[in-house]
Amino acid sequence: MKAKCPAIVSVGRTKFGEHYEVEPEKLVEEAGLAALDSVGIEREDLGACHFSDYFLPITNKIGLEEGFLSELLELNIPMEITRSFSSALSSACNGIQAGKYDLVLVGGMEKMTDRWDKIRDDLMLLEDPWSYYAGCTPEANHELMLRAYIRKYGIKGRQLDILSTALAECSVKSHKSAMKNEYAQFHKEISIDTILRARTRSRRPLGLFDFAPISDGASALILTDSELAGSYTDKPVSVLGYSNATDYITFPSRNSLTGFLATELAMKKALREAAIKIGDISILQLYDQSTMMGMVSLEDLGLCEKGKAWKEIHDSFKADHDYLEVGERNVFVNVNGGLKADGNPLGATGGAEIFEVFQQLRNEAGERQIKSDSELEHGCVHEVEGFGTKAYICILGRN
Amino acid sequence: MSSEPIERRVAYIGDRLRGSSCTSCGKEYFKPRDYCGTCGRESLGRMKDIDFFYEEGTLEVCTLINDPTNKFTRLSPYIYGIVSFHNGKVRFPGRLTDHMANDEDSRFTDFEGRKVVPRFRRRHAAEPSGIVPTISLAFSLADEYYPHQEYKISEPSKEYEKPGIVGYGVYTSRFRIREGTMERSIPFLDEDSITAAVEAGKIALVHSGVDHESICKVYVGSESNPYAVKPIAAKVAQVLKLGEECQEEGVQCVDAIDTEFACKAATSMFKDAASLVYYPGFEQLNTLVIGADNSQSAPRGEPGGELDLFVGYGGGAFIFGKYDVIAQFEGWISITSDTPDFWRRDTQAYPSHGGRFTGEPAYFKHVTKAVRKLMDHLKLTPGDVDYFVAHQPNAAFPARVAANLGFKEEQYLPGLRVSNFGNTYSGCSPIGLAAILDVANPDERIIVGSYGSGAGSDAYSFITTTQLINKRKRQRFTINYQADNRFLTHVDYATYRRLKDGMQAA
Repeated sequence: MKAKCPAIVSVGRTKFGEHYEVEPEKLVEEAGLAALDSVGIEREDLGACHFSDYFLPITNKIGLEEGFLSELLELNIPMEITRSFSSALSSACNGIQAGKYDLVLVGGMEKMTDRWDKIRDDLMLLEDPWSYYAGCTPEANHELMLRAYIRKYGIKGRQLDILSTALAECSVKSHKSAMKNEYAQFHKEISIDTILRARTRSRRPLGLFDFAPISDGASALILTDSELAGSYTDKPVSVLGYSNATDYITFPSRNSLTGFLATELAMKKALREAAIKIGDISILQLYDQSTMMGMVSLEDLGLCEKGKAWKEIHDSFKADHDYLEVGERNVFVNVNGGLKADGNPLGATGGAEIFEVFQQLRNEAGERQIKSDSELEHGCVHEVEGFGTKAYICILGRN
Repeated sequence: MSSEPIERRVAYIGDRLRGSSCTSCGKEYFKPRDYCGTCGRESLGRMKDIDFFYEEGTLEVCTLINDPTNKFTRLSPYIYGIVSFHNGKVRFPGRLTDHMANDEDSRFTDFEGRKVVPRFRRRHAAEPSGIVPTISLAFSLADEYYPHQEYKISEPSKEYEKPGIVGYGVYTSRFRIREGTMERSIPFLDEDSITAAVEAGKIALVHSGVDHESICKVYVGSESNPYAVKPIAAKVAQVLKLGEECQEEGVQCVDAIDTEFACKAATSMFKDAASLVYYPGFEQLNTLVIGADNSQSAPRGEPGGELDLFVGYGGGAFIFGKYDVIAQFEGWISITSDTPDFWRRDTQAYPSHGGRFTGEPAYFKHVTKAVRKLMDHLKLTPGDVDYFVAHQPNAAFPARVAANLGFKEEQYLPGLRVSNFGNTYSGCSPIGLAAILDVANPDERIIVGSYGSGAGSDAYSFITTTQLINKRKRQRFTINYQADNRFLTHVDYATYRRLKDGMQAA
């Protein structure tokens, strides 16, 4: 029996940012209802729910999320909790493919600002404890990888200035893109100068504007199989390939200090599963927890040559393209502003990435809709847990 | 909140930087493991224990941390990076210690590629009621103040008739405050009396060349243990792997005890340590005595604040044995009286002392009596003595007591080092003795007169041997090296108090 193909029929999300007065449950409700309502699905039709969050047990002392969801949905269906949204989606896809469920709600949320004074310590849970004991911070590994990158490829002088500028350009572009994203955490353009000044002020290789923020937010989608999808929408988006790969938790112990093996492996596997080539992808949501991570991931995904992504970034920016020119192809990257400007409420982030690709592929992104010569066929969603410890790739296709 | 099981496990691995290497393929791991990831099943039972405690590493890449996680705020800003060992065979995370990251460190990339040495330090801040977390994932630059010293165990060659000192080590930090003619060693933020004790012991092992397994008992004298209850000596025994290690249980076959008698807590144990190695029927045993203090003093201007002019930081460690002795015992005398010249009640942050009474009826009476009695017993005149060391709470007291006893400047000045390091309490007269062992010749007589408030004095006579010269090349961290070093960092009074407060919020 051929496995069924999972398809997304609707998506929903909240604005990302600081939701000071909102209970976590309310955010989940908002995102979930948006997804359910847009295709008129009744809660009773749901076969299962896969939900993701990293820190609710810590930030909000919610340890048995399923119970809260059961109350919220007034349902007693099977539910599972994972960390990342991509992970929840993977589990949901497995269920659909196996024919176990017809309709699955996938959701994710995070309420990081509820623990403003301790959230950076909490984030260290995603690193190995020895790095924490040695004094690591959530930002430090990004900077160490950048240093290793610079040393490995012998980048210095003017070239180093270009690399440094290219990273700032990523951030500028993210903020610019987010201007058209009503859900984005930031609606403020920033200049290269601002980014460079923040680095100088911090006296570090990366500054405030090189990193994704701390955010609250929720996202959701409804998954079914491609045959049933037609009864909900004319324009379902299929999950053509999804995979993940893992790597050591201890960054310093990994073989490569200048890239993420997990991303590389996951991408190869997902492309194979989707039976497409990397050149077929025209829209990419990159997990840019930092500008450095975004840059290196372009190489790991196979879009840029190792050690050279910064040049391509810089050239595209200089030419004022809203896409990245890779060889003959143009790839639209993080048109929603990416993690940097859209926000990064960990458990919900992947949902927002899928939200964007879903809307773009359906030509429903409004002001943000990509203007491309040919119709968009394939999109790729990249999500990472920890500092490259686990990477997810999801390849989405129209129809 | 401290978690006892986690602290136990982290300290067991992290304090010593324990790891494993595969005897099949040579792959190395930080943290012990039972099989090699590459060789798989084949390697079961073929993994070798290694550790990186005495090794030299390279700081591969680094960055500046000036926005640390909560328990590291008092250390900020600091350099953090990746350290590799054995030509990149194994890498782990590390923090640069003994370094105040100031504005110049915008060029922190200059540190990349530099050689570093692991240092045993406090890990991060903890609740005042909690366990003191420690780790050796702190590193200092090998080409600066603290040099890398290889630990080479040498077979015992010559047995001596009388036991004595077989090796010694002194540790004082690179941070100093200079006021008038007095310079004092002050702890870095992650240092305390425990870390000084371990450091001094480590240097003593390197100098002596004795097998750490041969140490049967360790004594740590201190009056500034961060714990009211819990021995420093247990930490020293585990980190330095003293005595035979029983790996299954994770215990060391060694006795370990803390002693306290103000500034003579360590010297008091010299004779006990020496007697133990002399115990009939036991062969090739060694003992280790460490005096280490990071003593408290009230801020200047507050009651008890006068101590703040003299208090230093550091430790001295002496290994006693019967083989390859560098200085043999000739005799000893101790005297004691109940003289309350200096004290600190439990739970009090700072000690109190008896003002002018600390001199005449306390220090002078006890030191003079003990040394005179020893010299009478050994039928010695000052002319028979090459060097004299007295406890040195300041520069004036030991000079006066030496003169009273009839010693000349050339006999007591080489061992008078309080102006370099301050009063290191339990480490004080041991540091004076080490300063003499650094420069003495064979067949010379050294008299030590320690003093501990409360009060008492231990007087010892040692005769040096030719081994002193043989072992000297293994002592890179000499007293002169530590006293006069271009990498010393001098700080002002406010910084000194901040460093002294350490990682706990003041």
